[in-house]
Amino acid sequence: MTTLAAVFRRTEQVVLVATLALATLLPVIDAFGRPLGGFHVPGSAAYVQQLTLWLAFVGGLAATSQAKHLKLSTAEFFDEGLAKTLSQLLAYSVAAAVVGILAYASAQVVLANRIQTKMLPIGVPEWVSETVMPVALGLMALQFAWMASNRWWGRLVGLGAIGGAFALGLVPPESAGALWPLALLIVGAALLGAPVFVAMGGIALVLFFREGTPVAAVSAEVYRLIASPTLPAIPLLTAAGYVLAESGAAERLVRFFRAVFGWMPGGIAVMVAAVCAVFTTFTGGSGVTIIALGGLVYPILRKDGYPEGFSLGLVTASGSLGLLFPPSLPVILYSVVASTRDQTVPADDLFIAGLVPGLLLVVITAFYGIVIGRRVQQEKVPFSPREVVASAWGAKWELLLPVFIVALFVSGFASMVEAAASALAYTVIVECFITRDIHIVKSLPNVLLKAAALMGAVLILLSVAMGLTSYLVDAMIPDMLLTWVRTHIESQVMFLLALNGLLLVLGSVLEIYSAIIVLAPIIAPIGAAFDVDPIHLGVIFLANLELGFLFPPVGLNLFLSSSRFGKPLTSLYRHVFPFLIITGIGVLLITYIPAMSLGVLRLLGRQ
Amino acid sequence: KMATLVPDGSSWHQVLKETAAEWNRVSGGKVRVNLYAGGTAGDDPDVVRKMTLGTLNAAVLTSVGVAEIDKSVYAMSIPMAYRDYDEVYYVLEKMRPSLEASMLEKGYVVLNWADGGWVHYFAKRPVTDPDDLRSLKLFSWAGDTDTLEIWRNLRFNPVPLPSTELATALQTGLVEAFGAPPQVAVITRYYENAKNMTDLNWALLLGATVIKKEVWERIPADIRPKLLEVARNAGRKLQAEVRRSGEADVAAMKSKGLNVVPVDAPTRAQWTMLAESTYPQVRGHIVPAAAFDEALRYRDEYRKQQAAHKK
Ligand code: NA
Ligand code: NA
Repeated sequence: MTTLAAVFRRTEQVVLVATLALATLLPVIDAFGRPLGGFHVPGSAAYVQQLTLWLAFVGGLAATSQAKHLKLSTAEFFDEGLAKTLSQLLAYSVAAAVVGILAYASAQVVLANRIQTKMLPIGVPEWVSETVMPVALGLMALQFAWMASNRWWGRLVGLGAIGGAFALGLVPPESAGALWPLALLIVGAALLGAPVFVAMGGIALVLFFREGTPVAAVSAEVYRLIASPTLPAIPLLTAAGYVLAESGAAERLVRFFRAVFGWMPGGIAVMVAAVCAVFTTFTGGSGVTIIALGGLVYPILRKDGYPEGFSLGLVTASGSLGLLFPPSLPVILYSVVASTRDQTVPADDLFIAGLVPGLLLVVITAFYGIVIGRRVQQEKVPFSPREVVASAWGAKWELLLPVFIVALFVSGFASMVEAAASALAYTVIVECFITRDIHIVKSLPNVLLKAAALMGAVLILLSVAMGLTSYLVDAMIPDMLLTWVRTHIESQVMFLLALNGLLLVLGSVLEIYSAIIVLAPIIAPIGAAFDVDPIHLGVIFLANLELGFLFPPVGLNLFLSSSRFGKPLTSLYRHVFPFLIITGIGVLLITYIPAMSLGVLRLLGRQ
Repeated sequence: KMATLVPDGSSWHQVLKETAAEWNRVSGGKVRVNLYAGGTAGDDPDVVRKMTLGTLNAAVLTSVGVAEIDKSVYAMSIPMAYRDYDEVYYVLEKMRPSLEASMLEKGYVVLNWADGGWVHYFAKRPVTDPDDLRSLKLFSWAGDTDTLEIWRNLRFNPVPLPSTELATALQTGLVEAFGAPPQVAVITRYYENAKNMTDLNWALLLGATVIKKEVWERIPADIRPKLLEVARNAGRKLQAEVRRSGEADVAAMKSKGLNVVPVDAPTRAQWTMLAESTYPQVRGHIVPAAAFDEALRYRDEYRKQQAAHKK
């Protein structure tokens, strides 16, 4: 058994690292080959699409064995004992059942694609490569059944749950409508520790099933999202962020920003806000910032005399600053999801529009830091131009990274995916060969594996969220919501206020990527109906989600900070409160002063 | 449940909504259509997949979508093979029975055929002859590897991208030229960053309204002919609408600074030669050989008739 497990694990690792390497190389070759007489790998776009599918599902499998799937924080409330055993049994049995059905549903998609007979240039039909979906999901279902308990009888319950779920397929369509209580069972399982993607997928499956639509409706959306051509940018940039997080980049950036800001009163707080913002542009809203930088900057703050509460609050609040700056993933994802044939929301316009609002959020956080910093006694570090130059030189490769990526894209040299692949290639070259923080053979594969598990978790969550959204679209919920909103809300101001409230609450419950996928397609048309500029709406949307991360009871940053620093959530609520207020004011300003977002675009003649 | 890429609120959408209402009326309320417009159900390949899976029942598809079911339809979109609407529609009338029969074999009933207008080239610099286009970075749809390789073999400079990235790519200069029917260029405003339109009918974008066979057969047999009649009428209405708006669209773009680049007869011949040089690769790879040969045979037949007529 152990050898079998070891072989299994090893295969998973080799597949993931090879997939990631190919997914990086192909777009880089395309981008750099273009000026060299169009040198290219035939059909590279088709390969990258398939590689992303493999990353998502083999990565999802890795996330299952490494327990990396995102869960609701409530799962941690139980101590050891019967309650814990039973909740684990229920949560994982439900997970096994839902994922089992998803495996079946995605097999249907592969069969449907088989009819379309698309071939990869090497002569292998695409559907052969796509069988990774049902196979990986099937293995995941078995893994969840295994994790349902430490004992055999418990694992049998897990397997029984898979069988039971398939038995539901025998229910005649006319009585399927009575199955809605299953959705409650699934929500219950999520509260008790089943991954969030299981809850979303399960609810989508139940909703489609009870109205007699084939459950493959969910897996068709899963496939549609993961096969969408801009999506590979997300795993590639996530991996780049992860490589940075595992290198000494954080120390070098801290040294630089300390040299720049450390001399002024409250300078250390300014440094924390700045360094977190730069870091988050790469890690997106995934919370990696708090995990990677928290342990580094928190002791510096404390040593400088900042109180514990303020320090915790600042680190927690800064964990998502920088979300609006290029090449942040949530911005790219919003552009992908909110763009339709009728109305495109180009990512570059969104980035330009987000510059001033993003800076505003950084500046007000830093300003509050200065106010507190003046009060606490601290020894001032004198300003040293020599140290600024030396530290800038030390961190030059990391400081140049955003410049390099933005330049590649803005100059028209590379597409989004090509720029993302170049970012990963650049990061690996810098950290493995120039700074030599990461050994290319001894440590890089492990770093990439950890990143792959995170990517798998994110991609599966995203794609399943898309399945849930498709139910809403299928049931014409956006149209109904639009009609409702139009009859109950008259002015644009009231609409924006309602939007602020809605996004604040939902942003704290949903993880950022699924929040974008589920909500953006619903909100974009309503925004258009109220004459809100689509680019401005995108900035409002993302800034609001940034605020949602801090919103009790379950904002993601609160949860991450709580586990990183071992502090109870309730104490964090108190510490982030002032930050919640000032960021909230910032978000209101961003919402009601459109010129802040659209002004720069107008100056550049893009509006 | 019927899906379409037709933009929400456009005149096409209006015709479709009227058709849906008309179907409901002639069937005495037995047929109810939920219309998902503007690509909310996904791009054409997604829509066809969903019809195969049974989560959608019908769709208004472009030739890309119809070709997902049966590639023969591409015979109607062979570049530079047809001079004008009359030629294409002569061939389509001749080929319709075989096209529809092979769609039926794959499980789809064709309710009507309609086109989206001629694909024209839009570019940042005026494009008169093929060499002008060779010097520009040309948009090529990321999903279509065959076409991409054909462009590359012809020493063009294609950049494969998803259509959702085209707007941005035109702004950054990653793409300098693209092919699209005027109506698409207007709706998407892509032309604002590529203000030179070459006056050349490169290929016709043909589409069809299809319904899954098993869904069609669930509709009572006495109602079906009535529905078909309504659909055919709608098809004709769409057709008239597209041709009327085609001219209006070009005029609208011109008023916003579009430069229409004229192409004289010798240069047109260059384009035709260029397109014909790809036929060996197109035939059998992109268009099934039988359909390809049949289409060109009917076209030559039409041209002969016309020539005889003139004499
Ligand atoms: Na974060
Ligand atoms: Na989209």
